[in-house]
Amino acid sequence: MDPLLVTQALNVLYEVVTLAVIVLGLAIVFGLLGVMNLAHGEFIALGAYVAYVCQSHGLPYLAAVPAAIAACALLALPVERFLIRPLYDRPFDTLLATWGLSLFMRKAIEIGFGGGYKSLKIPVSDSVLVLGTPFPAYRLLLMALCAALIAALLLWYRRSVAGARVKAMVGNRELAQAVGIRTDRLARDTFVVGLCFAGLAGVMVAPLVSVQPYMGLDYVLRSFFVLVVGGLGSPLGLLSGAAAIGGVESAMSALVDRTAGYSTVLLIAIFFLWRRPHGIFGRS
Amino acid sequence: MNTWVFDFEDVTGGYGGSVVVRGLTGAVAAGQALCVLGRNGVGKSTLLRLLHGFLPLARGSVRFAGRDLAGLDPARRTALGVSFAPQERIVFDDLTVRENLTLMRPGHPLAALAPYFARFPRLAERLGQHAGTLSGGERKLLSLLRVLAEDRPVALLDEPSEGVQSESVRQMATLIGERKAAGAAFVIVEQNLELVEAVADRYLILDQGRTVQAGDRSTLRRAELVAHLRV
Amino acid sequence: MLLLLLALPLALGEYWAFQLGLFFLYAIAALGVALCWGQAGFLPLGQALFVGLAAYLSGAALIQWGEAWWVFLLLPFAAIAAGALAFLLGLIIFRGRSESGPYFAIITLAIALLAFQVANSWNAVTGGYNGMKAIPGLPGLEGFSDVYYLAAVALACAVALCGWLVQAPLGTLWRAIALNERRVAYFGYDTAMLKAIAFGLSGVLAGIAGALYAPQQGLVTPELVGFALSADLVIWVAVGGRKRVLGPVLGAVLVGILSAELRERTYYWDLIVAAVFVFVVLYAPGGIGALLAPLERLLPGRRKALEPLRAPASKAPRSAVTLAIDGVSAAAGEVRILDRLSLAVARPGIYCLIGPNGAGKTSTFNMLTGELRAQAGEVRLDGDILSKPTPYRLARRGVGRKFQIPSVFGELSIDENLRIAVWSARTSLLDWLRPATRRWDTPVMAALRGRYPFLDDGGRLASALSHGERQVLELSMALITEPRLLLLDEPCAGLSSEETAQVREVIRWARDTLGLSVVIIEHDMALVKQLAEHVFVLHQGRLLAEGDVAAIRSDPRVHEVYVGAAE
Repeated sequence: MDPLLVTQALNVLYEVVTLAVIVLGLAIVFGLLGVMNLAHGEFIALGAYVAYVCQSHGLPYLAAVPAAIAACALLALPVERFLIRPLYDRPFDTLLATWGLSLFMRKAIEIGFGGGYKSLKIPVSDSVLVLGTPFPAYRLLLMALCAALIAALLLWYRRSVAGARVKAMVGNRELAQAVGIRTDRLARDTFVVGLCFAGLAGVMVAPLVSVQPYMGLDYVLRSFFVLVVGGLGSPLGLLSGAAAIGGVESAMSALVDRTAGYSTVLLIAIFFLWRRPHGIFGRS
Repeated sequence: MNTWVFDFEDVTGGYGGSVVVRGLTGAVAAGQALCVLGRNGVGKSTLLRLLHGFLPLARGSVRFAGRDLAGLDPARRTALGVSFAPQERIVFDDLTVRENLTLMRPGHPLAALAPYFARFPRLAERLGQHAGTLSGGERKLLSLLRVLAEDRPVALLDEPSEGVQSESVRQMATLIGERKAAGAAFVIVEQNLELVEAVADRYLILDQGRTVQAGDRSTLRRAELVAHLRV
Repeated sequence: MLLLLLALPLALGEYWAFQLGLFFLYAIAALGVALCWGQAGFLPLGQALFVGLAAYLSGAALIQWGEAWWVFLLLPFAAIAAGALAFLLGLIIFRGRSESGPYFAIITLAIALLAFQVANSWNAVTGGYNGMKAIPGLPGLEGFSDVYYLAAVALACAVALCGWLVQAPLGTLWRAIALNERRVAYFGYDTAMLKAIAFGLSGVLAGIAGALYAPQQGLVTPELVGFALSADLVIWVAVGGRKRVLGPVLGAVLVGILSAELRERTYYWDLIVAAVFVFVVLYAPGGIGALLAPLERLLPGRRKALEPLRAPASKAPRSAVTLAIDGVSAAAGEVRILDRLSLAVARPGIYCLIGPNGAGKTSTFNMLTGELRAQAGEVRLDGDILSKPTPYRLARRGVGRKFQIPSVFGELSIDENLRIAVWSARTSLLDWLRPATRRWDTPVMAALRGRYPFLDDGGRLASALSHGERQVLELSMALITEPRLLLLDEPCAGLSSEETAQVREVIRWARDTLGLSVVIIEHDMALVKQLAEHVFVLHQGRLLAEGDVAAIRSDPRVHEVYVGAAE
């Protein structure tokens, strides 16, 4: 096999899979719960910074996983209570309030850690041969982990009744209460779980990206675009959206340049937001 | 000392501070059905929503098995033992028929519902379909089945027969009758006199948010009801 | 105030003249955001695009012809170009999807980000990442004070323009759209066009800011187009208060200048701004501007009532209407709602549509106005087949509708509510800008005021009305448009028997004076008996029976669907 082709293919696959993990938290909070959370990216950043703190204190990288989940959950609880819950019926204001939250978190991170880039040591620094082509082992590991995480979540969603209950609550809150669902609690738990996934994604990608206070902005927009293109509320949509956005961007970046890649993504996103807000497979 | 499984007294309230119903009182014992009748817009649905805690009471009280339900949200009332079937948006459109029936009882075998499905084979054929694709009548059946499957001591039903074909209305009446025989109590808002006559043990006629007539089976007169419904 | 503005640069010096001048320009752009968000109810999240576009255009013009005096004449074109782009984008987006929710905001943000990519990489034209450099100042304006005065004048003009627009009929229509766009469409207004006009004007304002920004700063970088300024504009407008004309100016100047000064000195300033912004979103949608309300009351009282003007005749056709629904089926998902429904309204009169819940009565109205798509069959209005009806087009042909739940514009006054109805199908763009249009009156309106004295209390907010009054107001609004065919969905729901009697009289009066056809969905059989000249009974999406009241009452099929089969 042509080594260049293998590398390119692996890179595209890597982009798509990590993008899907980045989106995962928002897929739960926005796709399932319907909360337009513009602070999604900052929770990813929070996870990445927790990983940075853990590593700089000499802890094993895996220690960042529970730490990031705890940090995100601790922050998500009051956010849900005081910011999200009063605004459940006002999606527009939710957008603005979470956007204000994102400004706040960004600045808080900047004050705490400074505005500069942090680089993390890659936990697994070897290369492995894939079809005769060397490829960084951590990326491969990351891809496997991401795929496993997504698969586990999908399986859980299919099998457990929780997904159906959230769907029921979002579709018809009053009937959900009538059948005995404590909707306030369920919404809170769903929101917190979604943000913990964002933090987890931050831990996973931190060693491979530039960790800086403004990293979240790019993630949140890309995540929105993935969900809009793929369609909300379905696992299939998450994957197809990530494939479309991640695939097109890395392909265009390889063929032309990064600007062309990002611009194409924006154009696709604008078209979908305008004409097909329910995604590729959605009904109009 | 009372034997009512569900009773309410002087229930008064409405939407956003307005008062739609005033001073309504009623009760059912186990194995009974209380039917609430009246024209559209007299406050029947408002009464049920007040009873189940979707709207706050301005005055009055609601009791389940003698326990005052004040301060309990709808989900808690349901968990305690009072099922509720609303008039509008009655099923989860985005869930399958099966999910609608098993949402709160994961792992519960649908086989237990077999006697119900025998009466409504159309629903049994559509277990895998989204409830949003059902017709209005089928939804009403699904909503009733959901409540019956919950098997709670009390069920509040808001116009269960609306938009349902006469043959199915008769089946519904039979099912409700069977559940009553097994000891369940019902409060039913209804316009269909056929169903009312088949299941009501007690009745309440409302007009302009107040009780204009109340009684039991012995005083139920079709002609009077027709007059009240102004058909 | 004026003196203060004049004296400021002299008192504070060049640096402040420069800073204030810059934030005056930002305030102009913020005024545009407030026009969209505070008035018309949609939020542009990428407004920096239009600031940046005009800045690049003006910068290029100044570099090319900076010495010539007539370069002043080119600057307005930069602003107009930005406005034209905004108008076109708005029209395309709003025609594509009529909602004003978060998706519009995200689309504008994405377009602005795209523009940033273009500005950042199109080196030949924009100077790329380093920007367009060495832009000369405007000829004849020396130093920062002169530019300050220019910015101050531009801001004053922009405030005056916005103040006038908010007072004009156009402002009323925008606020109505923000409250209930669908209802405005039912009064025969092209809401996408109205919103696009707001967006276009906001583009012009952003363009004015951008056109002056280039000579003021001497440098235009892609940063100007980027996310940061768009974000700041929204924060300024929110904190300053989006509903008042001076709100965004206060926000831009106060928050903007404090930020510019304090950001360097205290780390925590941006945290405070973010927290204040969240607070405003959650609890104080009026922003700082709301604090001005007591001051406004001190100003001289409202102008005395002006002489009413006779409104011009409606542009909708006047002849008696004929409506024929022929074999129409419609479904939502797989649920059949209308099933080969056929009925006809051939001559003026009062028609009642009855049937049990779920029979398809409201759906019949929705199908006629295009909100429910017919899958088979056809509808003829005046003999022409109605293809792809919309509420707006039908209103233009003289079809009015009153909803079951009264949907008057709660945050507008009774007067404004009535005007929206009077202007329906009578106004052009020019009329929307003329204050005199506010004084329009019609005989129908005068007659309704005579019948319902509360309609004369024009300053009261519609939200302060009782349920019954709101029903009457909505019915009055529907009648004032002088429709030929009026669709009424339970006009008497929730009314006392006295109010019901009044409404009954008004409907009869309207039939006689306007010669219109009324189709009424009604559950109250007593009312049907009193009003109906002809009754349609619907059941399961089909016409079950029709005829006069006596015929319907003696029909056993009708009895069965209402009270169940006889034993």
